[in-house]
Amino acid sequence: MTKRPSLVITRRQAIAGASALAALPLVLPSVGFAQASEPIRLAGLVSLTGGGSPFGPSDRMAHQAVIDEVNAAGGILGRKIEYFAEDDETNPEAGVRAARKLIDVNKVSAIMSVFASAVATAVLPLCWENKVMMLAIAAADSIAMLPHQGYFVRTQPHTELQGREFANFAIKRGAKHFFVMMPQTPFTDSVMKGIKDLCGPKGIKVSTLVYDAKKTSLRSEVEEMMRATPDLLMIGGYQPDDIVLAKDVYRADYKGTSIGFAYGLTPQFIDGAGKEAAEGIYSIEPVPAAGSAAYARLKTMLKRDQLDTYVCQAYDHVNLAILSMAKAGQASGTAIRDTIRKITDDSGVKVDNAPDGVKAIADGKEINYQGASGPCRFDEHGNIIEVEFRLNQIRDGKIVVVKS
Amino acid sequence: MERILQLFANGVMAGAVLALPAIGFTTIFAVLRFANFAVAGHMAVGAFAGYVVNSWLGLPAWAAVLAAFVFAASIGVATDHVALRPLRGYRALTVAIASIALNLMVENALRFGFGNAPRNFAIPLMRDLSFGPIHIDPQQIENTIIAVVAMIILFLFLSLTTTGKAMRAVADNPALADSKGIDPDRMARIAVAIGMGLGGIGGMLIGLDASIDPLIGFRSILSVFAAAVVGGLGSVPGAVLGGLVIGLAEELSLLALPSTYKAAVGFLVILITLTLRPRGLLGPRAA
Repeated sequence: MTKRPSLVITRRQAIAGASALAALPLVLPSVGFAQASEPIRLAGLVSLTGGGSPFGPSDRMAHQAVIDEVNAAGGILGRKIEYFAEDDETNPEAGVRAARKLIDVNKVSAIMSVFASAVATAVLPLCWENKVMMLAIAAADSIAMLPHQGYFVRTQPHTELQGREFANFAIKRGAKHFFVMMPQTPFTDSVMKGIKDLCGPKGIKVSTLVYDAKKTSLRSEVEEMMRATPDLLMIGGYQPDDIVLAKDVYRADYKGTSIGFAYGLTPQFIDGAGKEAAEGIYSIEPVPAAGSAAYARLKTMLKRDQLDTYVCQAYDHVNLAILSMAKAGQASGTAIRDTIRKITDDSGVKVDNAPDGVKAIADGKEINYQGASGPCRFDEHGNIIEVEFRLNQIRDGKIVVVKS
Repeated sequence: MERILQLFANGVMAGAVLALPAIGFTTIFAVLRFANFAVAGHMAVGAFAGYVVNSWLGLPAWAAVLAAFVFAASIGVATDHVALRPLRGYRALTVAIASIALNLMVENALRFGFGNAPRNFAIPLMRDLSFGPIHIDPQQIENTIIAVVAMIILFLFLSLTTTGKAMRAVADNPALADSKGIDPDRMARIAVAIGMGLGGIGGMLIGLDASIDPLIGFRSILSVFAAAVVGGLGSVPGAVLGGLVIGLAEELSLLALPSTYKAAVGFLVILITLTLRPRGLLGPRAA
């Protein structure tokens, strides 16, 4: 026979409960102290594998280098910063798993440098629901249109803008027929729209073909392109599918001009596709602020002669997150959201790194952060406002800047 | 009409390459009765072995193909011995799930050793050959020949050698084969070696056409699985037929569907085939 639980409180239980209540005020301050002394947590959700893998490792290094520098200078708000990095595999499923870990287990305030639009689209709802700030590279127009409540900014120009750059290239070259080949991504439609909107009125015929990026051969798709006899071709994928596409385009003996996104047409692309297939392909790339103090500083930090725009953006993400929290006097995603547009004040002291900015804020000054990727100003949707592009071309196995 | 012929040619050649790992997949299933998804990782092992022999050691393509088979087979037997063999007594689904875990380990080991960057074989790219309105890449022809030769050798092995006949006996009736004194463990090792070895060649041939990276097999495994299922799991001729059916279906679907639906076409073919013939086109017990 089991003993039934009793609802009657015994004298011993009453004394224990009262003692616990009495001791509560003694315990609470120490709980508060523990929170204040805990590190501030920031995360990089970077692409270490998959299509974004040429850039993720450098992004992670930039994050870590800045955080080490800030910690060496004493941290912010009297607390050290702890950094977590997870690989999103350039894949939304893996990205969501990694983001859940960062948000639920690591309790981070910001997720930085999300590269692929598909990953950012999948992860952003987790961010705004948990009041975690996302500072992204991902460029699909649709991401900024999500109801993110301000928990999203990106330093990469949105994709319709990039599409217009491709259209301008077509117009300047006097192209007659522009054939656009892109994988299925959240930004495919907006890039194609940007191209059509500008090319159409100029009388340039635009044909489009959306392919499955996971395929190991795109011969039939290339045959379709060849039948259309375009004089300008867009190889518009990420690095792995660009390799497959470029090889098949070379084999098909395409004689026209080819162009694509710089993030797909990397030095590793040249290795993978081979020099013959890569030769002559143009790429369009948002220009980092190569003349800026932040750019020079990042080059020294990473011990590199040249930097791509994505590592510059990663550097800016971590600086923006830290400076926003320092300015807000609070370490949270909401604090970053509410303050990120207040640290690029034209009248403020120009700063190019977090330690100097933190010091200026502590001195009561307004600051104007000048990033390695450019001025980091965002519109109400989180889109970067000021951006410039440059044109590269692969010549003799090297990527050469043609026009900046 | 020209377009149909071109797509048909592309489909046949894609199917021939797909058939090799599909034969590997089905061979392992025939003897061990579980779906071994680690074939994907071993496709990558074969591709990297071929790459090392061709690009680093400077040996010709045939030596690279041989290396792809030998390395993928050896590593396949070793990983099977360590990771999957202890689970043989469990349900097929358990072992199949374990094979997915093994696949991740193999891919990550390659990533650790070679990195993620795509790599290219030291074989010059060639322009397409024209046969009237049809354009065919010489590399595709070479890949198809290699795939066909590998299949012929396998068929001769299974038909003419004592070991091959013993393997078929185990695949057909394991209990009867056991009563005849055929060592099931030895047959299992040979089946894994052949399966992973053929997967390795398949991975290398795909790499010759595109480029190689640790996920080369992962990207192809759904089509490989579809080919094996359509052909009839456990049937080697079925895997060849399944490879061709999937290759042709994916390419010819472009006549009616956008390219992005290519992968879905494979599964549509599975659905139709299994509805009409539940054990696949040439399944071992098909009526």
